[in-house]
Amino acid sequence: MHPLTSMRARPLGLAPLVLLVALPLASVRAQYPTTPPAATPIKAAVFPPFQEATLANGLRVVVVQSKKQPVVAVSLAFPSGAFYDPAGRSGTAEMVAGMLTKGAGTRTADQISDAIEGVGGSISAGVDADFLSVRTAVLTNDTKLAFDLLADVVIRPTFPEKELELLRTQSLSGLQLEQSQPSAIADRFFRKGIYGDHPYARKADPASVKAITRDDLLKFHKARLRPNGALLVVSGDITLAQVKLLAGAAFAGWTGAAPAVAATKEPPTGKATEIVLVHRAGSVQSNILVGNTTWAPTNPQSFAGTVMNKVLGDGASGRLFLTLREAKSWTYGAYSAFERRKGLGYFVANTEVRTAVTDSALVELLAQLKRVTVEPIPDAEIDASKNSIAGAFPLKIESSAQVAAQVAAVKLYELPATYLQTYRQRIASVTSATAQAAAVAGIHPDKAVIVVVGDGTKIYEGLKKIATVRIVSLDGSTLKPEDLVVKGGSLDIARDQIVPASDSFAVMLQGNALGYQRSSLVKTDGGWLLTEDSQIATVIQQHTEVRFTENFVMLSAKQTGKQAGKDVKIDVVYAGGRAKGTAATPQPPAGEVKATTIDAEVPAGAVDDNLITTLLPAMKFSAGAKIPVTVFQSGKGTTITMTLSVIGEQEVKVPAGTFATWKVEMAGGEQPGTLYVEKAAPHRLVKLAFAGAPIELVRIR
Amino acid sequence: MRIAQALLALALVSAGALAQEPGKVAVESYTLSNGLKVHLVEDHSSQVVAVDVWYDVGARNERAGRTGFAHLFEHMMFQGSANVKKAEHFQFVEKAGGFLNGSTTIDRTNYFEVLPSNRLNLGLWLESDRMRSLAITQPNLDNQREAVKEERRMRMDNQPYIGVVIDSIASLYDRDKCFAYAHSVIGSMNDLNAAKVEDVTAFFKLYYAPNNASLVVVGDFEPAEAKKLIEQYFADVPRVPAPPKVNCEQAFNTGALRRTVTDKNATLAAAVSFFRVPEEAHEDHPAVELLSNILGQGESSRLNRSVVREAKAAAAAQTLGLYGPTRGPNALAVLAIANQGVAVDSVEKLVAAQIQRIAADGVTEAELSKAKNSFRSSKIMERESALNVAESVHYAETFLGDPLKVNTDLARYGAVTVADIKRVAAKYLQTANSLVLMIVPPEAK
Repeated sequence: MHPLTSMRARPLGLAPLVLLVALPLASVRAQYPTTPPAATPIKAAVFPPFQEATLANGLRVVVVQSKKQPVVAVSLAFPSGAFYDPAGRSGTAEMVAGMLTKGAGTRTADQISDAIEGVGGSISAGVDADFLSVRTAVLTNDTKLAFDLLADVVIRPTFPEKELELLRTQSLSGLQLEQSQPSAIADRFFRKGIYGDHPYARKADPASVKAITRDDLLKFHKARLRPNGALLVVSGDITLAQVKLLAGAAFAGWTGAAPAVAATKEPPTGKATEIVLVHRAGSVQSNILVGNTTWAPTNPQSFAGTVMNKVLGDGASGRLFLTLREAKSWTYGAYSAFERRKGLGYFVANTEVRTAVTDSALVELLAQLKRVTVEPIPDAEIDASKNSIAGAFPLKIESSAQVAAQVAAVKLYELPATYLQTYRQRIASVTSATAQAAAVAGIHPDKAVIVVVGDGTKIYEGLKKIATVRIVSLDGSTLKPEDLVVKGGSLDIARDQIVPASDSFAVMLQGNALGYQRSSLVKTDGGWLLTEDSQIATVIQQHTEVRFTENFVMLSAKQTGKQAGKDVKIDVVYAGGRAKGTAATPQPPAGEVKATTIDAEVPAGAVDDNLITTLLPAMKFSAGAKIPVTVFQSGKGTTITMTLSVIGEQEVKVPAGTFATWKVEMAGGEQPGTLYVEKAAPHRLVKLAFAGAPIELVRIR
Repeated sequence: MRIAQALLALALVSAGALAQEPGKVAVESYTLSNGLKVHLVEDHSSQVVAVDVWYDVGARNERAGRTGFAHLFEHMMFQGSANVKKAEHFQFVEKAGGFLNGSTTIDRTNYFEVLPSNRLNLGLWLESDRMRSLAITQPNLDNQREAVKEERRMRMDNQPYIGVVIDSIASLYDRDKCFAYAHSVIGSMNDLNAAKVEDVTAFFKLYYAPNNASLVVVGDFEPAEAKKLIEQYFADVPRVPAPPKVNCEQAFNTGALRRTVTDKNATLAAAVSFFRVPEEAHEDHPAVELLSNILGQGESSRLNRSVVREAKAAAAAQTLGLYGPTRGPNALAVLAIANQGVAVDSVEKLVAAQIQRIAADGVTEAELSKAKNSFRSSKIMERESALNVAESVHYAETFLGDPLKVNTDLARYGAVTVADIKRVAAKYLQTANSLVLMIVPPEAK
């Protein structure tokens, strides 16, 4: 111990800074601890005070006052979420919400956004499964404006036809955009899987969005946006008295009984676990969701469920994260959660893993789910979980808006009045036994819905070893395993006919030699290298190198040269089912050279377009044969399917000799033409004539 | 009586002559002998404390062949240190009920813990332990290299637009004269594959030192106690020689770049335009920021009104800040996602027309006032969270050169005039200063 440690007691904050810095610092310092410092006593958790009132028209009001910053946030929630969409009109609630701010009272959509954004505030409306909520936030100077606009949009929306059509267009584009987001796709199939025909499975689709009429919106608004049953929550630098005054004035004359509450239907009963494989061609990851329906928010087991889920998958110290990410490096994250729905909630575990480990990751994830249901959770993990949840509580009520959201949840989900005040005690009373009971009640790994969104061609075989697999396309239609095979993709060639070789062709224009094309194919480490040089008059001059593996998987394509005096270039690398690089190639019609970034998927079995001549000797030509070849155009980044059709036999004389050939029509590419290949394997190219141009390639060696 | 007063107060404030300001952030700053800068903001309004460390390192410090290091390193910082085992960093914080994260941008790397206030000591200790003794091992490197690749797959390769945008954005800048900004934060997977333990160790020694870092603590703590802990935990972490300066000479208006790229993940075509703009501290920055708001933020923005609502050409049209704040060249990006059945070229033309209109005719006083109010209220609203306050103090120090500018920076924005907006629009939002990407779904090409 240093002799001067007693100086630690000195209140450093009082020391002049210069002095402090001038002191030999080691002398005032306690030793560096090699274990985490112990927690200092946790402060008593006082839930911030809030006030409640009910207005004459039945509207319930909650106010959470905070003078920290000059802001006010208001939310008005109605029990009118997507659950209440009329059958066949999924998306109605969402569209009502979208339309509320698009014309209300005497204001047009533009006037509403000018007014609120002009003062730096915001107003928006949205829906979840259970509720439709309108939110507005402003600086306190503009509180009256916020209430006036809020009242206009919920009481007097005008639903202009023009705005409806615009919103419809945007919704359709939004649905299209969702189809590009694997997590959104997974979520849609998952909810359909767990909720079946229950309204919680409903989701807007193009047909329902097109079917919704202005009348549907008016009806929904009239029936469901009423003061009774709604909840107004105001937080920030404002008092209950001010809120009552403002709301009383803004909502004057607004009346209406509470909207009907739909009877909750029974959930679909759990069946044996089935994997829904949503085929997303070319996906580099698989999005995995596993889960089942659970319980209502008021279920007392939800406290034990929260503690258990903290152990399992809530955050970066959960078992799922620690195994799938930290131990296995299969994913960026793996989590689980109990999601609240007023009628019937659900449990879901999710991860996104690279394609190759999809099956392993799913097996591990299911094993972890099983484990919490059959194996008692050690007390140490339970205690850590409880401490974490208790410690996190202050973080959930840091701002007045967060406090307001917590209070609103209690009211909207009809939780006990003391829910927030007793939350920490309820959590503290959870034991290993009650946590396991909650796992058994809330997680059903043997009757779970499993959704995997990924490249079916690569993950189907692995998944079917885990459970029954139902394959569907992105739009939900059923696929058979054989549908996953890439059509025309896999190249059927006689491998042994690919041998080191050199070829030399003359380029002929109306009988006159105009240039040459020379190529050589050599064996390299683990594959092949094609080198090709071409010169046609002074117009075209190029050097090409294509590398590919022994299994004819493309590795790279490089080309340099000039065309009509302009530099052209291709530099593309193939890896992991994609081609990436750059290309500068002449574009029709004027032949301008355009630089392009190439970043495109390459289907299995595709060959580089510079390689066709090289592969001809090994293709299976016979009378009447039609050979599809998937070709990746490395100069453009696009994939095409060419068809080589044997249309006859012919004896062909070229400088290299006279040959018996198959006459083969080449279609599907940019330059249709006729190939003449030796009839006997290896089917080396003898002559190539382009359709519609007086140019031929003839073998001279 | 109380109600009458409230009414009166309301009547007064509705007249609203004075612009409301955010509450003042009381920053106490000092520097440890090893060069670690410390800024404390005491605030007992909730039982929360934020510990936030910024290292002055980002992608801008990387050289060719070593891209992606700053971000890879951020991952390594969670892999354990002398007294914290692998993955324990997460566990300690989560068990305390806190949350944590780290992030890497072009200009800086941050690490933070938000904790219940009785665990301030834990946050500080965890940060000090990894600053002094990070475990840089081969298994950790291999494991995190894979995690970064997975992050790339999830965030970029499996999503629409973003992969293409990130792979292309670097070409805005001059690779020879400004490599610092002419490459992406995620970096090249080849460079990451080539990274050796020695490289990563060297990177740590160069940049992860107290004299290249800054610690901000905000929230419910007693300053004397916090200072004592900071002294105990950080003061003996050794200082190292200052890292090399970042060089960047980026010219503006170097000629239009235009590209069409197929994005296999996209289902709707999109046009993304980037314009080179100056650094955060530059005198033109506030006007560029407000211009970005007027052009493409909110329902009432020019782009939303014209391209989305009137022309019905786009599902969304807005400005983006892709880079975060910088001390070097930045980019203002405009994204427009074409509606189904609308040619992306025509969407891009509509966007370009709106930009040209501002450059030619300027904006209205009402638009400028809206942008200022919106900026001001966003600054006020972010003051409600301890972490946001901590980030604001770091921002002021790193990008404006003085942590106390957290309280005065808003004035720069208040001073912008409509003439300034027109001037910066004409200066930076010109074709010769742009990169335009046309991103098309596979079948459309």
